[in-house]
Amino acid sequence: MIDGLTNSLEHYMDLLTARQKLVASNIANADTPGYRTKDVNFQAELQTANSALSPHTVEVGGLPVKNDGNDVSLDREARLLAENAMRFNLASNLIRSQLATIKEAIQEGKSS
Amino acid sequence: MSLLSALSVSASGMAAQRTRAEVLVENIANSETTRTAQGGPYRRKDAIFSSQSVPSAFQSELDSELSGLQGVSVTGISVDSREPERRYMPGHPDADPDGYVSMPRMNPAEDMVDLMGASRSYEANVSAISAVKDMIQRSIDLLR
Repeated sequence: MIDGLTNSLEHYMDLLTARQKLVASNIANADTPGYRTKDVNFQAELQTANSALSPHTVEVGGLPVKNDGNDVSLDREARLLAENAMRFNLASNLIRSQLATIKEAIQEGKSS
Repeated sequence: MSLLSALSVSASGMAAQRTRAEVLVENIANSETTRTAQGGPYRRKDAIFSSQSVPSAFQSELDSELSGLQGVSVTGISVDSREPERRYMPGHPDADPDGYVSMPRMNPAEDMVDLMGASRSYEANVSAISAVKDMIQRSIDLLR
């Protein structure tokens, strides 16, 4: 896009989007028998060079499984929901400040 | 990659929980019903959930996206097959010759707790929609 930093931020926001979608899916399926919590391996995906590929979905292990075979923990999903929104907010603010810097450079010399 | 499909997923969760709440309310309302169209007392119902991919207007675009994104839908309503409870009420018009009436086998506490669960799950989906909506709004704000 504009430079390396903005590209990384874009990749980061894409990953947050993917993760947020899986969190929404987990919450929707909180009462579905046999459903297993899904997530992306965030750190590994972030270091992937090719950001064009859509991230791989993995099943989260180690969560307590309920009697109906469902292992969605609403506490975990609520935490991730808030965390993703905050991280996304941060990234979008960073991109916005990048854009503001460029805009300032473009408008330099004008007496506006 | 669009966040909008997350909205459909949460919406499917809300719809499923609402159906479940409707069925539970029907159970509570009919906890003393002795006559039904099928004959015999009312039988407790429950919604069966199953996860499935969400329908979308942009299905072809969704196909190329990450796997594992699943909404929820109600695939059926299960009907309690247990024998009705027999209660001694000789004056009741539906009593058998021995004076026993077949009443629905119902535990009000069970239905109330399930109803609270449905309500809480609905709220969780609403929170998810609100968080996703906020993220979409942040992206749009980049254009300003």
